[in-house]
Amino acid sequence: MTRALARPTAAVLVGAVFFVPLYLVLANVFKRGDLIAKEPASLPWPPTLSNIHAVLTRPDGLFWVSLTNSIVVTVLSILVLVVLSAMLGHYLARSGKRWTKVLTLVLLAGLMIPPQVILIPITDVLRITHLMATVQGLILFNVGYYVPFGVFVFTGFIRGVPVELEEAALLDGASRMQVFWRVVFPLLRPATASVLIFLGVWIWNDFIDPLIILGPSQGTTITTGIYRSIGQYQADLGSVFALMFLATLPVLIFYLALQKQFVKGLTGGATKG
Amino acid sequence: MGEGGLTSLTAVVSRPAPPRPVASRRRRRPVLPRLTHFASFGAPGVLVYLCFVMAPILISFGYSLTDYNPFHPPVKFAGFANYRLLFTDSQFLTALQVTTILTLIVVIVPNLLGLGVALLLDRKGWLYNALRSVFFTPVILSSVVVSIVWSRLLDDRGPLNSLLRALGVEHPPGWLSDPDVALYSVASIVCWQMLGFCVVVYLAGLQGVPQELLEAAEIDGAGPLRRFRAVTWPLLAPSLTINTVVLLISAFKTYDYVKVITNGGPGSGATATIAFDVLQTGFDSNHVGYASAMAVVMLVIVAVVTTIVLGFLRRREVDL
Repeated sequence: MTRALARPTAAVLVGAVFFVPLYLVLANVFKRGDLIAKEPASLPWPPTLSNIHAVLTRPDGLFWVSLTNSIVVTVLSILVLVVLSAMLGHYLARSGKRWTKVLTLVLLAGLMIPPQVILIPITDVLRITHLMATVQGLILFNVGYYVPFGVFVFTGFIRGVPVELEEAALLDGASRMQVFWRVVFPLLRPATASVLIFLGVWIWNDFIDPLIILGPSQGTTITTGIYRSIGQYQADLGSVFALMFLATLPVLIFYLALQKQFVKGLTGGATKG
Repeated sequence: MGEGGLTSLTAVVSRPAPPRPVASRRRRRPVLPRLTHFASFGAPGVLVYLCFVMAPILISFGYSLTDYNPFHPPVKFAGFANYRLLFTDSQFLTALQVTTILTLIVVIVPNLLGLGVALLLDRKGWLYNALRSVFFTPVILSSVVVSIVWSRLLDDRGPLNSLLRALGVEHPPGWLSDPDVALYSVASIVCWQMLGFCVVVYLAGLQGVPQELLEAAEIDGAGPLRRFRAVTWPLLAPSLTINTVVLLISAFKTYDYVKVITNGGPGSGATATIAFDVLQTGFDSNHVGYASAMAVVMLVIVAVVTTIVLGFLRRREVDL
């Protein structure tokens, strides 16, 4: 009996210790501001929605402005990324040319380049093209930086799609674009899902790139908004916790809805022969 | 990762796809005309990548050979002076040391703990499923959120120290204010966020271990430890590869945590990683030339270390 209970007990204990910081956020979101500093670990009783209300109704609209920016940047970046990397993946998987090997290596290298290495010159490139401190500039940067990831996920999947399918459709008179978008792309659903989920979460959570590219005065995304509000509203911890909670909520919902796909995408590399 | 969080790496470490069926490989000519295929399918992606990743790297290298400072024109060519200076610059050498310690901790600890937790959770049932989600949640949080929560928790007058004082510790450590401790605190926070990633990858690896092999070993008289060492562990090699490479690359880029939690301090650069130093030098001190030299050295280190580690780990992967 004791042996049978050992594993669940140990698992719950380890999980509980691990969960403490998450509990701290959850509890303090629903706690009165003055109690957060006094008793941060206590249960939020009676619970209050005043922190969330305060964030949503701030006179400067920080939350809504940041939310809009984050949504625009994330959605447009991942849409463009899916289109560009699926097509480039198709080219790499289907073209027999030798130089695609070189191209593949050059793209592979992109997976390990730290953003710090390119951020300094990027700001100059964006300044020259008048894209610095704009949402479009940030989106273009995201697309360039994450294209290698998308390409590798898609290339692997496209290799698994029989070429004969495409040839048959071509013989039937479809154009190359039609063949790709109507025949091949629908077969790549699992790859598209992992690319969307991964890049969506990374871009949503990104901090350093929006901080530097959008600049200090122009615009904030949700993460840079949180960062700025800890400096400016040191005293009002309730709002900071509520803002963090609200910023995480969309990712959390996104993740819970697509959990299966997420874990499959994460471990695809480990289990694929 | 989120930046600082996970990196795009399952793709790098996944094995090459199986060869195409013979029928299509025998074909000499590709299905589609080449140039138009590249122009319409390949070019847009390649162009953005070249403009926003490859060209900036070349520009960075170019800047690193100058004394470029946007507020002090004109720009002078400096040859390799920046590089020579780097290796006598105590601030850079400290950053190198900080990054090395951080990387070692972040590569080893979540890997070990992740394996332990995965072995613990490798059962079916709602309890284990729920706990998997608990461990995975930090992975999808922004590193800014994680940093703020932990800096509240580890504050000198925060909950952890209140607890320690209540337990009778008179002078609990200044987790983030003591220069000798702060780096280990920051490293622990990164480990906490990355743990769930390792757990999930190891759990997937454990599912791939055939039960018959474990049963056969048991019949042959192997105890649980022996079974783990001889059967399970070698078959987890691909999981180890993924975790190690992902952790390695995210540790090298560590910036968000340092910026939000300690801003490089306490003291003179106790937690300033190279990634942090590059941006401080480039954007706050405006020494763009010098910062670029630092960035180039960082890139070389990342590339060399990752290639060596990846090569080593790949060689020990076995095929069933």
